[in-house]
Amino acid sequence: MKREIPLLITFIAGFLIVVALFIPHPPFNKIEETFNSWYIIVAGFTFILGIDSLILHNWEKIRRRSEGWPFALTVILSFFITLIWGIVSGVRTGHIFSTNSTFRNYFYLYIYVPLQATMFAILSFFIASAAYRAFRARTLNATLLLLTASIVMLGRVPLGNVALIPVISIAVLMLLWVLVDELKYVTSPTQRLIYIGIAVVAVVAAFPITKFLYHNLSPVTDWIMNVPQMAAKRGLFIGLALGGIAVSLRIILGIEQSYMS
Amino acid sequence: MNTFEKLAQIDRRIIYLILFIVVAIPFLFKVQISMKPTSDVVEAYEFIDSIPEGSAVIISIDYDASSMPELQPMLEAILRHLFSRNIRVLLMSQWALGLPLGQEAIEQVAEEYDKKYGVDYVVLGYRPGLQAVIINMGRDLPATFDNVDYKNRPLKDMPVMEGIKNYGNIAVIIGLEAGSVGDLWAQFANSRYGVKLILGATAVVAPDLYPYKQAGQVVAILGGLRAAADYETLVKHKGAATYGMASQAFVHFLIIAFIILGNIGYLASRRKRRS
Amino acid sequence: MHLSTSIWVWIAAFFTLAIFSFLYKDNPFYRFAESVFVGSSAAFAFLNLWFFDVKPKLWDPIAKGNILYVIIPLILSILMLTRFIPKIKWLSRWAIAFTVGMGAGLGITGMIQGYLVPQLKGTFLPLWVPGNLATTVNNWLLVFGTIFTITYFYFSKPIKGKFGVAAKIGIIFIMVAFGASFGYTIMARVSLLIGRVYFLLHTWLGMV
Repeated sequence: MKREIPLLITFIAGFLIVVALFIPHPPFNKIEETFNSWYIIVAGFTFILGIDSLILHNWEKIRRRSEGWPFALTVILSFFITLIWGIVSGVRTGHIFSTNSTFRNYFYLYIYVPLQATMFAILSFFIASAAYRAFRARTLNATLLLLTASIVMLGRVPLGNVALIPVISIAVLMLLWVLVDELKYVTSPTQRLIYIGIAVVAVVAAFPITKFLYHNLSPVTDWIMNVPQMAAKRGLFIGLALGGIAVSLRIILGIEQSYMS
Repeated sequence: MNTFEKLAQIDRRIIYLILFIVVAIPFLFKVQISMKPTSDVVEAYEFIDSIPEGSAVIISIDYDASSMPELQPMLEAILRHLFSRNIRVLLMSQWALGLPLGQEAIEQVAEEYDKKYGVDYVVLGYRPGLQAVIINMGRDLPATFDNVDYKNRPLKDMPVMEGIKNYGNIAVIIGLEAGSVGDLWAQFANSRYGVKLILGATAVVAPDLYPYKQAGQVVAILGGLRAAADYETLVKHKGAATYGMASQAFVHFLIIAFIILGNIGYLASRRKRRS
Repeated sequence: MHLSTSIWVWIAAFFTLAIFSFLYKDNPFYRFAESVFVGSSAAFAFLNLWFFDVKPKLWDPIAKGNILYVIIPLILSILMLTRFIPKIKWLSRWAIAFTVGMGAGLGITGMIQGYLVPQLKGTFLPLWVPGNLATTVNNWLLVFGTIFTITYFYFSKPIKGKFGVAAKIGIIFIMVAFGASFGYTIMARVSLLIGRVYFLLHTWLGMV
């Protein structure tokens, strides 16, 4: 009973939804619509799962006076203050987000919004620091990634094409530095010739490439996004879609049961 | 210790401070740089421009405060375009906490254009269930929202809802996306019902949406603050995105400089190790 | 400079700076702000459930006497709540099973009808467009970029021979895609910071 009924429910729900795709006629389309309307109601309840453990965990912390308990108290207090303020204001004005609700106009806009927005804004600092510390052109692939990222970043901002001139110049100088350095360790003459060849090509090509990008940076960025970037994303997502279908089938057929734990 | 090694050990807080200053400077000195709108944004603008007056569009707020700086200016610019062309707007949300943000923008822009709630626009609200909501809206749009607006007022009394039964009566859905709901709009609303779709997305999400555009499932993609600034340019109303673009540009230059410096340090240390 | 005179703007500025203070080091102001955020986020889950779901979809119909119309989702919802009562917690599986089954079913339909079919259709492009070299080249890149990317990721064969060449070209496309996504991600994060700095300088301090 404890396992069979849930498995049956999963099977019926999933199976009928898939059938309705292939036979979009009565009664299946009506069943799909009804199931969807039930799902809309029940899905909301999944958001509150796990909140009991958050509250209990913090309550335990306060009871034991373990380290940082005043913050656990803050969590619980802000939980109840938000809840009560929301209910009172929402019932009085018809909805928590009514334009005349104090909950929306003060709590949401001036406490919650700045908290949430700033939590995410600090990520920019970490990414800048990582740019300095971690983004290294160690391999050819990594170099390609960094080059694309730089072109896209410059191609999407004003004056990006101007900034491109020093960027390409420095990049070429760095390449020359690496090549000259490598030459010291290379013994085979053909390999030497290749390195010298790369250096010459880089120097000769740098000017026309810079000139081209200077005038066409925005269209080039559009092209990267619409052609090679798009093709790779499509390849990746086709694979993900196939994987997703496989997992969903396993769930409907009851092979995958981890959600029951 | 040489210069590069010293540079490599620079305290991260100094980097944070530099970043903060570089963002603030263009604001303090009121630096503004004009730009030519990108082709994606022009496509979206022209499509909305071709919608007949009096048509209805859906705007879905699928973000919350965490991505507000990118999507809120985009929403405001699009609303200005729609209201200036007398197009009816049905505002909804697939992220509950995005609803008040959408509402704030629409109230403000509606006032500028003298638009009335219930006549020119309505806030439908939020319902959980994502795909299920999208599918059922295609069958019976008002019923999916229980025939009431977010404050429980009956939709049938509102002129804005006149003649609106399902997607067949909607000129375009404009989804503003900070997560994967944009995929769901393309997969369910467009593929199943053929309704036109414009997706405005945070820059994190935007690149993943390009396959939909190539396949014709989406009319146009608006990506990040730049797209918002471009839309502001097109509707000739400067806002937060336009003011922010100079900072955006300077920070991009700074980060690329960081990447270059870091790599020079790396090459120098590699050379030292070898010798 | 026109400092804001609204106490609420000052509160917003306090919380903004409290979160930013973490960048210097972990400190009580940050932890206070973080705790407020965690607590109120949890409360929002309940508020949203009531005002967007239970009230319009269960409470109002029942109040109007239409209980039969919503009896099944009502039962499932109540079963979901048994999760909070350890003794009968297992009953919540029935409700979870329904949401999981629906999720799987909708997932399959979305992936087939909404992704695979239109995306494959989009990939069937002419490899020779007379008189238009640019489109021809782009079509080649689109078609083979997609195929080689799939080759790189989804075949558990060793990367060598002709197959290896395809996979190696695939990785070039993947690196370009990751580079583009990476550049866009930096762009997005920076925009979020710009939003907060604008709030501090404009709304709070009135400097710009």
